[in-house]
Amino acid sequence: MSAQVLTVTSGKGGVGKTTVTANLASALAMLGKRVTAIDGDIGLRNLDVVMGLENRIVYDLVDVVEGRCRLRQAMIKDKRQAELYLIPAAQTRDKTAVSPSDMVLICDQLREEMDYIVIDSPAGIERGFRNAVAPADKVLIVTNPEVSAVRDADRIIGLIEAEEKGPGQLILNRVKPAMVSRGDMLSVEDVLDILAVELLGVIPEDERILVASNQGLPLVMHGVNGASAGEAFRNVARRLEGEDVPFLELVQKQTFMSRLKSFMGGNS
Amino acid sequence: MARQIDIKGIRDGLLIRVSDNPEFPVYERLRRELDQKREFLQGGRIAVEIGRRPMNSEQLTGLQEIFGEYDLTLWALIADDGETRETARTLGLATRLSGSATDLDGNALGKREAQPANGDAAANRPPPPANALLLRETVRSGRSVWHEGHVVVLGDVNPGAEVIATGNVVVWGRLRGLVHAGAGGDAAAVICALDLNPTQLRIADQIAVAPNDGRGAPIPEQATIRDGRIVAEPWRH
Repeated sequence: MSAQVLTVTSGKGGVGKTTVTANLASALAMLGKRVTAIDGDIGLRNLDVVMGLENRIVYDLVDVVEGRCRLRQAMIKDKRQAELYLIPAAQTRDKTAVSPSDMVLICDQLREEMDYIVIDSPAGIERGFRNAVAPADKVLIVTNPEVSAVRDADRIIGLIEAEEKGPGQLILNRVKPAMVSRGDMLSVEDVLDILAVELLGVIPEDERILVASNQGLPLVMHGVNGASAGEAFRNVARRLEGEDVPFLELVQKQTFMSRLKSFMGGNS
Repeated sequence: MARQIDIKGIRDGLLIRVSDNPEFPVYERLRRELDQKREFLQGGRIAVEIGRRPMNSEQLTGLQEIFGEYDLTLWALIADDGETRETARTLGLATRLSGSATDLDGNALGKREAQPANGDAAANRPPPPANALLLRETVRSGRSVWHEGHVVVLGDVNPGAEVIATGNVVVWGRLRGLVHAGAGGDAAAVICALDLNPTQLRIADQIAVAPNDGRGAPIPEQATIRDGRIVAEPWRH
């Protein structure tokens, strides 16, 4: 049994790579998988904060690469899940402290003991991106339904094809169904039309994501009910496991019946 | 000022032309150029044209090493200087391109005309026949394809990508990026696409942008220069 290495990347910053990484790693762990998340954003680490593990960092990725500790020592166990670990990035160094072959080496060491290794790539297409993509078995491209993010995602897909890492799979993040139905936001179809890659997930915009990130408790770990973004992340995890999960119906159609229902619901 | 380093696609791979001027730091400049175009050039065969600049064996080996670092093979060196050519041959490099208008010593048959420059003199010469580049892929944002001859893309040309050809360009897919046909000045060049919706079109020295109107179902179109302007019309056969 050998782990699959998933690299989460986007080109553009701020589209939600770290959120996706944290939630996806957590969701896979909740399915009973053994998961290690690696923060590839050396110098600007965030994943530890979003996962709520910041105060437990002793060693980091650069310590492992430079031989100051063993790999195991840098793996922070997330106590909320049976088998979820984080290898944090160094905050005081930069991307050149790690090489693509270091990343391959580290992932190869982890493969036997894990089911999934999820790498959070930094924004951009330079060294940090190349580090994160080097060990990838599958690249997950995160984008938002806006023209500039889609443009960068297209560039990233071209680059990973050149690295022979396949076309990758797409996670469309921060979709606002109401704006899409008004025609004010690119729809899922518009984005797929340009990028022409396989769609792995559509994550609706959800205020609770921000709250959850600030709390350091990934949304998928909140109560199972309600959170539609959390539901969408859990679906992504199940799709990675090979399940055929239908996409959430995001565009609420205000039909007569639904208006009637909400009207009656309001009165009761 | 002429560009100091110029990279273009030729039949045998890629031709890199370096300015004659021996003052400018060629290696540094070359590295920067190669860094920028790394994924486009990947695995390519390289010919370098150095003009009058003389180079010794050490310098040539250095050049080979630089290309090696980028996973490129230097196979030919086109030099005006006889001694440099001699040195190149002892290093196992070719000293002329196949089908070039020069003899083995590179000094006959008006070699300057053999290389079409961007624009000017060699401009109206049609691209060499049967020299077409077929790309069976989508040309994505950030990629630039330069080809001497025709280009056929079996896929889309996405926004942020550019295809530049001295001949015609056919996109069997959606054209949403930038295409320049007849880049050597051939005003008879055409651009065809199944869905012509470009960021910008260029034919020879004309530039056009797509009209910003709402479009219905895409239809195959062909863009040509008519009365000095680029016009697009539905494809007729």
